Amino acid sequence: MKRTLAFLLALMMVVSVLAGCNPEKEPNETGDNGTEGTNAPGVEDGLPSVKEFDANAKYTYTTSAQTLPSGWNPHTYQTADDAVYFDYTTDSLYTLFFNDEVHPQEGREAFDGYVIVPSMAADYPVDVTESVKKDHPQFNIPESATSGYAWSVKLRDDLKWDDGTPITAQDFVDSLERVLRAELMNYRAADYYSGSYVVANAKNYGLAGFYDYDDNGKGAANDPNGDPAACAVQMSDLVKNEDGQYTYNGNLVFIGTNYSLAWTGGDTLPDLYDVYHDSYGMEMFDKEALDKLMEATDGHGTAVCNDENLELLKKIITYSEDWGETEANIPCYLLIVNHQYDADYSFDNVGLYVSGDNELTFVYPNALDGFYLMTYAMSTSYLVKTDLYDKSLSSSETAAGKVWTSTYGTGMDTSVSYGPYKVSEYQSGKLMHFTKNENWWGWKSDVYTYVDPDTNERYRMYQTTDVDIQSVPEAETRKQMFLSGQLMTYGLQSDDYDQYRSSEYYYTSPAETIFFLLFNGYTSMIEKREAADTFDKTKLDLQVQTLESFRRACAVSIDRDKMAATVSPARTGGYAFIGDTYIYDPETCAFYRDTDQAKMALVDFYSINLADYDNDLDKAVDAITGYDPVTAKAKFEEAYQEALDKGYITDSDNDGKSDQTVTMVYAMSGAVNDFYEKTAKFLNDSLNGAAAGTGFEGKINIDIYSSGDLGNSWSDAIRNGEYDTQLAGWSGAVLDPFSMADTWTDSDRSYWGNWWKAETIDLTIKIDGEDLTMSVRDWALCLNGTMKTVNGKDYNFGYGQTSVENRLTILAEIEKVMLTSYNCVPIMQDGSGFLLSQQVYYIVEDYNPMMGRGGIQYMKYNYSDADWADYVKSQGNTLSY
Amino acid sequence: MIKYTLQRILYMFLVFMIITFMSFILIRMLPLPMLPPEDPHNIQVLRRREALGYNEPYLVQFWLFLKNIVTKWDWGLSETRLAYGQDVWQIFVGKLPATMIVNLYSIIWSIPVGVALGVIAALKKNTWVDYFLSTATMVVISVPSFVYAFLVQYIFCFKLHWFPFLMKGGTDYFSWDMFVSVIPPVLSLSFGVIAGFCRTTRAELTEVLTSEFMLLARTKGLTKAQATVRHALRNCFVVIVPGIFGEFIGILGGSLIIEGIFAVPGVGRLTLDAITALDYNIFMLSTCFYTAIGLAASLVVDISYGFIDPRIRMGSKK
Repeated sequence: MKRTLAFLLALMMVVSVLAGCNPEKEPNETGDNGTEGTNAPGVEDGLPSVKEFDANAKYTYTTSAQTLPSGWNPHTYQTADDAVYFDYTTDSLYTLFFNDEVHPQEGREAFDGYVIVPSMAADYPVDVTESVKKDHPQFNIPESATSGYAWSVKLRDDLKWDDGTPITAQDFVDSLERVLRAELMNYRAADYYSGSYVVANAKNYGLAGFYDYDDNGKGAANDPNGDPAACAVQMSDLVKNEDGQYTYNGNLVFIGTNYSLAWTGGDTLPDLYDVYHDSYGMEMFDKEALDKLMEATDGHGTAVCNDENLELLKKIITYSEDWGETEANIPCYLLIVNHQYDADYSFDNVGLYVSGDNELTFVYPNALDGFYLMTYAMSTSYLVKTDLYDKSLSSSETAAGKVWTSTYGTGMDTSVSYGPYKVSEYQSGKLMHFTKNENWWGWKSDVYTYVDPDTNERYRMYQTTDVDIQSVPEAETRKQMFLSGQLMTYGLQSDDYDQYRSSEYYYTSPAETIFFLLFNGYTSMIEKREAADTFDKTKLDLQVQTLESFRRACAVSIDRDKMAATVSPARTGGYAFIGDTYIYDPETCAFYRDTDQAKMALVDFYSINLADYDNDLDKAVDAITGYDPVTAKAKFEEAYQEALDKGYITDSDNDGKSDQTVTMVYAMSGAVNDFYEKTAKFLNDSLNGAAAGTGFEGKINIDIYSSGDLGNSWSDAIRNGEYDTQLAGWSGAVLDPFSMADTWTDSDRSYWGNWWKAETIDLTIKIDGEDLTMSVRDWALCLNGTMKTVNGKDYNFGYGQTSVENRLTILAEIEKVMLTSYNCVPIMQDGSGFLLSQQVYYIVEDYNPMMGRGGIQYMKYNYSDADWADYVKSQGNTLSY
Repeated sequence: MIKYTLQRILYMFLVFMIITFMSFILIRMLPLPMLPPEDPHNIQVLRRREALGYNEPYLVQFWLFLKNIVTKWDWGLSETRLAYGQDVWQIFVGKLPATMIVNLYSIIWSIPVGVALGVIAALKKNTWVDYFLSTATMVVISVPSFVYAFLVQYIFCFKLHWFPFLMKGGTDYFSWDMFVSVIPPVLSLSFGVIAGFCRTTRAELTEVLTSEFMLLARTKGLTKAQATVRHALRNCFVVIVPGIFGEFIGILGGSLIIEGIFAVPGVGRLTLDAITALDYNIFMLSTCFYTAIGLAASLVVDISYGFIDPRIRMGSKK
């Protein structure tokens, strides 16, 4: 026995010594590509060691989807359903983490924002503009440029596909080539050559052999009156060439037939014909002429502009009086060729190339930096395993020739992962199961770690070992499965809120959209509607709603939070044009609504006396409810007198009450349902309640029953003054609240463009200590990068052109103008509510628009799968929330 | 009989072609989804639509559609979010077993139960048993099957935890777990079918039992059970057997919604989704499938009369 013990002791000592003598670590363990002694970029020094989760335990994230992805080809996917796959199986050069002790952000509390951290990249990008400008003239970097146009990125050397084969820099380049390849007509190709974050020369390669056109109808489309004379080129400017095709300044001219034209709001002629024909039974176009013109249409969606086709176009657009166009509108349909893409354009000229050992260089046509560079412009969502991709390609014969299709990402054998998980089971329309991709570098790296704010211990991200997604189309089934412990979350339905709103497992996620109550101000149309034979002017009125006093009364009659709770419980009260999810500085995750400028706009609009709140802006803003029945009553009385004076209403029996019921017809986008009925009832009760004792007592009616189902055309009906109101939603880019000012003030896009013109309203704002006056429209344009000249001086308040403070001031002032115009009144902010399973919890309670609550990356488990099954059983298989 | 059968097959083919042609034209006439204004992806969508021949005349498109099927058994690829880039035939065939298994179980279970209840009701005519079964039959027939689906799911899956909420995933269609998981959808589909057979059997059997030949059979010394089984039931089957095929088609239709509730990965949901997504090729394949099944079933019904009742001879001119 003693001998055995002595032997064992000696053996342990030898093993200990040997272990101590081995200084090598696996290259991935430090997260720094094997360079010992330093942390990976973005990872703080001197942190506690990582506490590992139980390696033998299984933690399965079970979730459901109404529609499961049927394909996840990164070059062709079109819907958010398909994108679900990418959440689990892809990685990116740079990623966002919550700021914490591991990934700190100076001056901020842990977990109240985010930081950008290199993921597939080994380090942050290096600006190589000067050298690329010199060595690669094909990218046309401006001579004056010194930075921002070209960036090199070193890749980690431990990147692998899930089958263990390495991912190289060349894979990125080859993948971009495939997504852009013109003959494949990939839906996602446009991501890399359109918009703000395009790759240099990507368009030349992506549209090789195609034309680039100037849409001649843009001028007319942007003209407030839709005047075809505003088109850049008129018919008299065209010259016929020897082939009979018209040209402008030597450039070929085409007719946009199967083309997304500005003049038609992006619709093609056949689509427009179909919609009017099938939805409304209207023959808007001469079908025979349209068919002939479509026969003459080529693969570009255009027909040659010659006499024969012009005659057909004329027949088409002048066929119906309802369409309301004449021969003068023909220029609106023309496309002027400004460039023909070289059919043999080489991919070598596209701004992504391998520039060194596992190093990529990105070249852009514009200068980029920081957040937008790393999270948008350097997106590598196009990455595919090219050998598998090429095998998945096939072509088929169609009525118009040949078309290529890829089966990449349509099943387990055509998919490959390079993210934390990989698909281990898939049945189309039924289920997807993911397991850990052991070849993902992040499992062994310190980069994907965080310090738990509750325990102060450091953990590895992704405690989840498996992800199970099932198709469960019915909400009731999802609810029962959730209560039986079989799903992690349950998105609440309207009927559920009363029961679960106070649950400790209830979470809400605000969304960007603000819902407004619109008012009709199109006086000429209102007069026309009142003049109709069917309209009884002795009993009804439409004109009162145009009075500002009436609108102001309505605005303060509605208890917004109560309305949200009543008609749409997932939403909350809305008080401003811009909701509280908009971030004005993505580098620091700074919210617009948290700025003094934004707060002051609300304080001013709601006439809050700051002194009543100890001059504390936050307190003052928190006190805003938008509900003030006393003011409402006074304003209704004022509106009543004004309406009498203007002859909008009468009081024939001198009882101090209007003879007419003020009516606002609600433009319905669907059939009458519970939501519409509740909305109309709440609004009518609120408005009539506040109007009690005034001349409008019992005389206000939001009418939902006269509308019928207008479908998508409800917004046109509002714009044209044919209908009066809607609870209409409006949202913008969450990282760019400034762009919303452009939308509000653009007559073509706003609901009120026919009666309220931002161009005609002057606004004076103090900029850098000086008063500057421009029209509201010009302020909005200037805020979004358009140069405007005032008193001989040029101004541009676009991104990077002025201080952020100035931009915030301008935006807040425009928002105030919009609020005080009373074209609409903000009522609700969109959101959603859900229950989270007791099996898991979020380490972050507050919702961040960019990070959510961290998703499964930061999700922690109270129970492993086995423990959870026991727990659920102990609860009688039905859980209480 | 052979001539008659061939004639019917020829007619069936003609009807099939007419329905296929009409479906093809009608689905193509529906407007394609509107493209969002100024979306940069539009150019790729429009290029692809053009390349797919969506702007070609319908007849040209139909000709190519037929040609590809006849020469290559090529039903085309899905061009929508439903199954972008995938061979629709493979998708359809992959989903067919789930639909068939649910429907077959339903038929196998429903027919004997329905007929048995009908026999009991007929034999116990004008007793409380008959009244109860007749009343229950009327109630059950009046309620659509998806209502039972929700009830079955709530009671047996949620409250009693006897069965899983959803049909099991995978293709082990004859495993025990799969069998247990299809019981809820099968039950949901069966209620109406059982009631239908019960009512038909009762009505037919009641009439037959009062026939003179039944009296003769009893007079010959057959017991009531012998007379019922050997003579009465056989006569009833002239009506019941065609009903079996009719119910099969009916169940296929009914399962469109049931498949959604129990997440059955079958062709019913695929068909509904294809219509919503305007996936031309999937829709056409589904339509052709249902049309072919319907026509074939009616042919089999007609032919089956001759086997069930030798007195019936189809196509005879004498």
